[in-house]
Amino acid sequence: MEMPKVTRRTFLKVSAGTGAAAAAAPRLLNAMENDLGGKDPSPVTGAERKAIPINCHVCNIQDGAIAYVENDRVVKLEGNPEHVSTRGRLCAKGNSGMWYSYDPDRILYPMKRVGARGEGKWKRITWDEALTELAAKLDAAIKEDPNTIMLKYGRQRTGGVIDRFMNTLGSATVVNHTSVCESSKKIGMEPTWGPDIETPDFANAKYVLNFGSNILEAAYFHNPLSQRITEGRVDNQMKIVTFDVRLSNTAGFSDEWVPVHPGTDGAVALAMGHVILRDDLQDSDFINTWTNVTVAELKAHYKQYTPEWAAKISGVPAETIERIATEFATTKPATLFTYRGPAKHLYGSYNEKACMMLPIMTGNIEKQGGYCLPRGMGWPQPSPEPGKPKKGSYLSHPPDYPLAGHKVSHLVPFWIAEGKQKINVYITYQDNPVYTNPGAMAVWGKLFKDEKLIPYLVSMSPFMGEETALVDLILPDCPYLERWEPESMPNSLWPWLGIRQPVHKALGESRENRVMMRDIIWKLDPDGKRGMKQFWNFKDGEDYMRHHFDNIPGLKEAGGLDFMKKHGVWPIYGKLNPKTGKVSDKTGREIKAEYGLFKKELSDGDMAGAAVGANGIISKNGKAIGVKRNGKNYVGFPTGNRIINVRIDQWAEYGFNPMPTFKRVPWHENMKDDELVMTTFKLNVHKQSRTAAVKWLAEIAHSNPMWINAATAAKIGVKTGDLVRVESKVGHLVTKAYVTEGIHPKTVAIPTGFGHWEYGRLATLKLKEKKAEWSHGQDDPDLNNVWWDDKGVHPNNIIPAVADPIGGSQGWYDTVVKVTKAGPNDKYGDSQGDWQKHYEAYKETIRYAYTGDLHRKMHPEMASWAGPDSVKHKGGGGH
Amino acid sequence: MLKAVLKIEDDEEVGAGETAAVLASPAETAAECRARAEVYHLLSGVFVEEPSQEFLAALRSPEAQQQFAEAGLKFDADFTAADADELMEALAIEYTTLFANSGGFPPVESVRLFGRFKQEPNFETMQTYKRLGFTLRPGRFEVFADQIGVELMFVAELLERAASALEQGDTAGHRRLDKEIKRFWTLHLGRWVRGYSQLIERTAEHSFYREMARFLHGFAVEEIEAMGLRIDDADQARLEVPKAEVRVEFDPDEPVCNGCVSDAIAGQGNAPGNVHRLHDLR
Repeated sequence: MEMPKVTRRTFLKVSAGTGAAAAAAPRLLNAMENDLGGKDPSPVTGAERKAIPINCHVCNIQDGAIAYVENDRVVKLEGNPEHVSTRGRLCAKGNSGMWYSYDPDRILYPMKRVGARGEGKWKRITWDEALTELAAKLDAAIKEDPNTIMLKYGRQRTGGVIDRFMNTLGSATVVNHTSVCESSKKIGMEPTWGPDIETPDFANAKYVLNFGSNILEAAYFHNPLSQRITEGRVDNQMKIVTFDVRLSNTAGFSDEWVPVHPGTDGAVALAMGHVILRDDLQDSDFINTWTNVTVAELKAHYKQYTPEWAAKISGVPAETIERIATEFATTKPATLFTYRGPAKHLYGSYNEKACMMLPIMTGNIEKQGGYCLPRGMGWPQPSPEPGKPKKGSYLSHPPDYPLAGHKVSHLVPFWIAEGKQKINVYITYQDNPVYTNPGAMAVWGKLFKDEKLIPYLVSMSPFMGEETALVDLILPDCPYLERWEPESMPNSLWPWLGIRQPVHKALGESRENRVMMRDIIWKLDPDGKRGMKQFWNFKDGEDYMRHHFDNIPGLKEAGGLDFMKKHGVWPIYGKLNPKTGKVSDKTGREIKAEYGLFKKELSDGDMAGAAVGANGIISKNGKAIGVKRNGKNYVGFPTGNRIINVRIDQWAEYGFNPMPTFKRVPWHENMKDDELVMTTFKLNVHKQSRTAAVKWLAEIAHSNPMWINAATAAKIGVKTGDLVRVESKVGHLVTKAYVTEGIHPKTVAIPTGFGHWEYGRLATLKLKEKKAEWSHGQDDPDLNNVWWDDKGVHPNNIIPAVADPIGGSQGWYDTVVKVTKAGPNDKYGDSQGDWQKHYEAYKETIRYAYTGDLHRKMHPEMASWAGPDSVKHKGGGGH
Repeated sequence: MLKAVLKIEDDEEVGAGETAAVLASPAETAAECRARAEVYHLLSGVFVEEPSQEFLAALRSPEAQQQFAEAGLKFDADFTAADADELMEALAIEYTTLFANSGGFPPVESVRLFGRFKQEPNFETMQTYKRLGFTLRPGRFEVFADQIGVELMFVAELLERAASALEQGDTAGHRRLDKEIKRFWTLHLGRWVRGYSQLIERTAEHSFYREMARFLHGFAVEEIEAMGLRIDDADQARLEVPKAEVRVEFDPDEPVCNGCVSDAIAGQGNAPGNVHRLHDLR
């Protein structure tokens, strides 16, 4: 038969009429890539790659992930479908995690400084040489005073190893990074209801108030919460209202974006509370039953916070406050979420408290679709454990900040400079305050370069960050794909235990943290006679994990560590439904979360030997275990009195307002026309300091122009791309402007994570911009394909220290700046801070501490407070 | 060891391409294999880790110095006249700067050709070592299988085996090993060592590494030619994608967050419903 002559076009036209037939034709080949997680074939051989479940640790959300390994090399990372919180999804950062392992700038051997601090001259030494030198320094420090050994950590998820190490050495000088993170959020919440964070049930809510959190891109807990808020928005027709100084993508996703003046979220929240209580929209039964105030007390207290008052402060119209308050109170269920927006201010703890009062007074606590307690799991520690150090540390528990249970780490350089505590050996672990803290190089760089203040500086790090570049000894730590760590994070309504396990052999001579610390102790106490070695009696990381996981009831029966190694997470609640993307039971329905945790009733066994006090507190062995309400014995909330403390009496003891209140940042009150508040934010593909060298992420985002409102920019004659000079009271920087309507007119915002001057060739682009100076004038072949020349500008040099006198948190969003068009002598990337000016800023901020002269002035309502000398529990407000 | 250097120089006098014809007998070929192995061992020792006192003492002996000079190597006084302890310290620091520190030039094939540690060359070389009966042990430090010193050491070992084969009359064994060496050069050393050694020659601040890198480059060129191989060096010659051809979703000179049209909100009355008019604030 002769075929008609047809063209390719004719063939293709056939498809227009045969689509349905094509769709109905049998398809026997399924792209294995399209299977729903858990498997991955090699595209070359077709062989199934080895899948190792882990917990991601690029950032700290702790997503369940799977590393696919071929020939001991990670070729792909994806979400773990068995993980109940993150349900098989992994963000861009998590997908890029293998760059940490294979980064060509990774430090693979111990290195000893041979030039001046920061000069960049190093000598590779053996582990034995490194441990011998360090042990000698530690030994001398212990003999003088163990507290002269300081360890400061940034991101640490060792599951207890850091404390074990420092307790073994006998030092209480352990400092974290939380004050530059979210500590005032924690301190706003903890005395109120126990935990330091909430779990908003976005998926089932009908109404959400979001104060200052970029849930879809960067928030704690970005991945799991962005899934749930999307479900609530799409499946549940939930309304979202976002209060933020900036039109983040979360604000854009919301039904309403309400721009607020920085630091005034608390005023808006209080005014909304005023409306709710004025209009009798509160849940009286919940307030009267489960809090330490009555409805009448609350109404009386909130009377002062009118919408008109808040409107003047925040810029949010009174009618908007009225409307949203009414909507929130009358729409059930409703929830609320905050993050740094309200908390990172001089009085961030008050702001946080004011926000969380809204779900409390409307009774949305622990309900489906409401504002829930976090769910987490713990694990036992290996025995024996070292006792706590006998003597306290000024730096760990600064007496001027007794309520700051998560410390005030960003003021540490000033305290060391003032001689508040002597340091002989400073050890840093996954920290980089020279970049991440206020003052950055101008403050921490100066501290670390001073060998009198810090005689010996050690970094446990796989990367040459800004801090590590200044140390005396580098011990090569393992990136997360090479470490053993127990994990649990309250990032959904289902509690889980997870594990991080090495997915490939550690590169070079890197040692994971717990092994490194064991080796230091073994060097100090080789024969065990000093009593230290007994606490470090484990063979390797896996052996250590057995102590954590092999004896947890339920998990033990499932296989303990072996189960964790195979699945990465426990329990397995159900199967990920490919149609809904939810973890479902055998019928295909989503596994339901448990609600009303505080209403669990105590068992007869629990009550045996317990006594019920006059206020209903059920105590046993000197500890409150529950609360009696309406004739029932409930477990209550994990506070000292098992109920919600709307009134925090401990705050009053230090002259702080124990009731929900708001304090405006004083220097924001009378800002001049040309003054703006500078804020910062995170982009979705970067974290604070450790992703700029991740090539895939750097290619997506590598520069950080400053957001400025169109009207504001017009006043100073600036358009997008223009260079601007940004000047604060402690320094100045020169960057590019990005002109947008998506930011409050009195605010500018600079994304963080850019403008590195260390952290490897990709982060710094030194090899591109200064060929003659770096790499001896040579081209790096890989960098030739880096098409961008802009690494961005880091803002922290010009941000002064501000400490919340209650929570200790850094006031990241309190900096007043002047923005002008850059002058002829201004160069893009300039960033200069001044130690003396930063020091003056520190002296100013401690005036707001309870011992400072401005404390009383800021609290006229506490006129009856008898002053700092009246405080009974001085020092050590720590947890 | 250094006689091997001269041996190569002697060979050059014979003339490139004539080696096989001139050194026809098994004994002479075996001797050449051993001489080549010595050079490989020497260069491996230079790059695999920081030089020891013993190694440096041998390299600085009058005999060695003369032979180096005759081979065209011109060490400065920082190598020839330095105190032994100070030299070892200086070279340890230079080694760290060049090869071990962040921002340096790891002498590792995976990094040079793939931009990352522990990529295909690492596993391919490891498999090759294993197939031919070698295991990799740490020296003073752990090293990657595709570290330059290890790759050179591997060829040295094969050459010694090839020499032994010839000495025992096993010409087939020699041929097989000769093929392995050529194959290894084609798949690995030949793809990066010439470019990389030139980079180190230009980069090194100490004359020891500068001259040794120069020596490595010359030796590699000679070896490739002598083996009759044609291999393109991919190091320092990687394809550069011109900026104009990079397809991006936005103008890289603009902020990454662009896309908002200010007129849509400001004064046009058609603001998106979810955005509050900013005049509320003023």
